Amino acid sequence: MPESIPASLIIDTLKETFREARGGGRHEPLGWILSVPDTHQRTVLAALDKERAIRVVTCATEDEATTAAAGLYLGGEPAVLMIQHAGLYASVNTLRGLGIDGRVPLFYMIGLLSREKDKDPRESRHSMVRYCEPLLDTFAVPHARLEGPDDLELIPEYYRLAQQRRGPAAVLVGLETI
Amino acid sequence: MAMKPEEVLRAIAAGRGDAICVPTMTTAPAWRTLAPDDLSITCVGFMGGASALGLGLALARPERRVLVLDGDGSLLMQLGSLATIAGARPRNLVHFLFKNGVYHTSGAQEIPGGFDVDFVMMAKGAGYRAAYTIGDLGEFRRRLPKILTEEGPLLVELVTGLAAETPMTARGGKPFHQQAEELRQRLLRVGA
Ligand SMILES: Cc1ncc(C[n+]2csc(CCOP(=O)(O)OP(=O)(O)O)c2C)c(N)n1
Ligand SMILES: [Mg+2]
Repeated sequence: MPESIPASLIIDTLKETFREARGGGRHEPLGWILSVPDTHQRTVLAALDKERAIRVVTCATEDEATTAAAGLYLGGEPAVLMIQHAGLYASVNTLRGLGIDGRVPLFYMIGLLSREKDKDPRESRHSMVRYCEPLLDTFAVPHARLEGPDDLELIPEYYRLAQQRRGPAAVLVGLETI
Repeated sequence: MAMKPEEVLRAIAAGRGDAICVPTMTTAPAWRTLAPDDLSITCVGFMGGASALGLGLALARPERRVLVLDGDGSLLMQLGSLATIAGARPRNLVHFLFKNGVYHTSGAQEIPGGFDVDFVMMAKGAGYRAAYTIGDLGEFRRRLPKILTEEGPLLVELVTGLAAETPMTARGGKPFHQQAEELRQRLLRVGA
């Protein structure tokens, strides 16, 4: 059974991921979150409000979030996209144009709002949940499920994977964070 | 008489110093010949993204100016980026908006609202530090030094005629991914 992940653990993992991306050392901010608020990850967003080390830029659309993340990458800064499945659907052309044709590493954390605890997301009653992985598959975007605290290592792993493959990579947040 | 976009771009190229430039649509072919350098990145394939790409660059490199050379149809496609930019407050970002009233690249269809759309009011309403419109080349040249140094985010609506070339009539230039890698390497070298 999947489990909810506490916000503090996600934030610690993000900090580690950013530190590793910078090759250590002090830097202010350590890294950037581009977000269109995701209901599923709202406890993380709330905790990030109090975090000085990570700067959150709230964007009006996921197209902007994705594109601003690309601009940060070009400028040498580490960035993570925090959106929900509907936001992925809303920004597919940007994912394609920048992430695939443009070969920009883009690391996504995508909340699967309404995902049923006892069901595989591909069998969800909700189209928003059901189509997320198949859509990523269509674009050959590697993805993994964050199903509990034991899976947190997937965050740095898929962040690295995006850099290595020069393209998108995603982790899907299975249950609401706490 | 509306300004020629090439003349506007020539003035920007002469004054920009080491600013990063983000052209798109019909500013792209002219910019490629005026400023064939590795500090420019042409947006193609994600219409409307020039403003947000400029935002990301400006946040990453606060010590450097970032000049977005946007299209009016393109900005309408991601109009929310005005508020996103204003909210993030990049002091080093100048948003040049080439207002030709049409989607020139796709065949010169009028944009919704045509020339009546007031981007200056929109940028101010979104919270840009300043925004103004310029339709005369002499005035543009006179005001450019201040535009290139004053605190942003700043939107300058440039009322222009149509460019001689569009990305459809003048194909070519380096692919986006190559420009992106060259710009990143250049910026990392400087930052090291
Ligand atoms: C998502 C998307 N929809 C439609 C198009 C087709 N298209 C290509 S260029 C263009 C017009 C661009 O107009 P504008 O930003 O005003 O630039 P101009 O060509 O006038 O310089 C359009 C609509 C596209 N490239 N992408
Ligand atoms: Mg236009």
